[in-house]
Amino acid sequence: MTAAVTSAGGGPAFPRSLPAQSAAGRLGLLGASSGNTGSATVGRLAEPSPWAGTLSLSIDRRGDKSIAVRQHHAGALRILRPHYLDGSGQVCYVVINPGGAYLGGDRYLIEVDVAPGADLLLTTQSATKVYRTPGSRAEQHTHVRLGAGARLELLPDPLIAYREASYRQVTTVDMDPSASFVMAEVLTPGWSPDGKLFRYDEIRLRNEVSVDARLRVLDNLLIRPRTGSPVDGMSFMDRHTHLGSLLVMDARVDGVLVDELHTVLAPMDPQGQLGITLLDGPGLALRALSRSTEPLNEILAAAVDLLRRRWHGQENLNLRKY
Amino acid sequence: MNSAAPSYLLPLLQLSDSALPTGAFSHSLGLETSLHRGQVHDEATFADWLTQFIRIQLVHSDGMAIRLALEADTEAGLNRVDRELHAAALPREVREAGVKMGARMLDIALAVAPSAGLGRYADAVARGECAGHPSLAFAVAGKSLGVPLGELLTTYLFSTATSLTQNAIRGIPLGQSAGQRVLRAAHGEVRDAVVLIQVLERGDFGVTAPGLEIAQMQHERQRARMFMS
Repeated sequence: MTAAVTSAGGGPAFPRSLPAQSAAGRLGLLGASSGNTGSATVGRLAEPSPWAGTLSLSIDRRGDKSIAVRQHHAGALRILRPHYLDGSGQVCYVVINPGGAYLGGDRYLIEVDVAPGADLLLTTQSATKVYRTPGSRAEQHTHVRLGAGARLELLPDPLIAYREASYRQVTTVDMDPSASFVMAEVLTPGWSPDGKLFRYDEIRLRNEVSVDARLRVLDNLLIRPRTGSPVDGMSFMDRHTHLGSLLVMDARVDGVLVDELHTVLAPMDPQGQLGITLLDGPGLALRALSRSTEPLNEILAAAVDLLRRRWHGQENLNLRKY
Repeated sequence: MNSAAPSYLLPLLQLSDSALPTGAFSHSLGLETSLHRGQVHDEATFADWLTQFIRIQLVHSDGMAIRLALEADTEAGLNRVDRELHAAALPREVREAGVKMGARMLDIALAVAPSAGLGRYADAVARGECAGHPSLAFAVAGKSLGVPLGELLTTYLFSTATSLTQNAIRGIPLGQSAGQRVLRAAHGEVRDAVVLIQVLERGDFGVTAPGLEIAQMQHERQRARMFMS
């Protein structure tokens, strides 16, 4: 999973050789993964822009509806006009990447502020594709601030990483204890020309959630499949290729809800690769592995829909893509 | 000719004894799920599990925590390491195991190698500012004893590997000799881990892998259990 993984010959249980390249050496270029949540704001909107695309969105309530009171985009990120999918007043914005894919050296910055009592569903128009990033990597940094009673559902389409892609995604959330945050995502390998899966170089997915300025969740995954690597090992991907994740931070989460979600979702997981757990915060985390995208989308949608119904009286989410 | 051992050696041996009463014997940290699934059932499959556990959790969580604790030159710096380590343990039972074993390790370390730094860490845990974790209590004790980082990491990692092997001997079950063969074979893995921990970047702290996390989460719902995690 880390540089140590690259040393594995696949066969012997205890390979002795060290990796030729350390993670620090390979990845020391930007240091953007620093645990310091303030670090990525350094140089923000500086000239010339270090970002291939930026998007900044501030949501507030106007009457019984939420709406962007400020939005700004530059470079290869755009946002579609707002939609209201139901009568709840929740506003839905769709992020689009006109370039269609992330390439090596591309860095994207998304900043989202949801004011007290406002309600945002943020999604994407299509899958985020990361193509070859030779000698480099693509990055996406998302910073979220949620005021008292604010809500964000962050439900992007799957992330597809192609052959020789390296990608780092860092999402930081600073939220009020009365705010609600739901994030679901699916990671899938793109097909290589040789018809094989799992040929991307490295994916890092890091989520940091602070409640009342105290770090509560540091969700830090690194998947680095290589020829001969033990990514198939039972503790890594266990011979699966697709990963689904759900992170919920909300004061209403408790052990009873976690049990209920498990009861609903477990029958949808024929391969027995579903884990769900209660977080401090409070909140919950869900992970699932599969060999295709669909079962993961179904499990995550069922979980999101249950929360929408339970907490907000909303119907099941139907994201028609505009 | 006289050859005196360094003054830290005896306290280090005591604190890295795998039979130290921290409760490690009742925590499998996800191993029991793999036993239940039949993925771990003999010497070879346990050796494979242990390799992966060292590479994932011991390197990126416990091991990096020890290194960062030694590098921290302020109390706030140490508290930040504690906060991140606790927040990075998503599976509830793993988080709770860290808190429980951390409290026991702190008590024992305060008796074996009391120091001002250890007292401050214990106070921060008592105040609720820190969660506590065995690797950090061990690191703070080792730091005040003057134990070099390489030795501190090696003893902690091997002690944890030994505890888990003893749990596997009871859980699989495995013969004592098989357990010793697995541990001998783990020497190289621990040596590599100690080197790797010292070159990883700050952002690697707390990195984990989906398969291990899912096993650790599923353990919460396992019916017949020998272990608390």
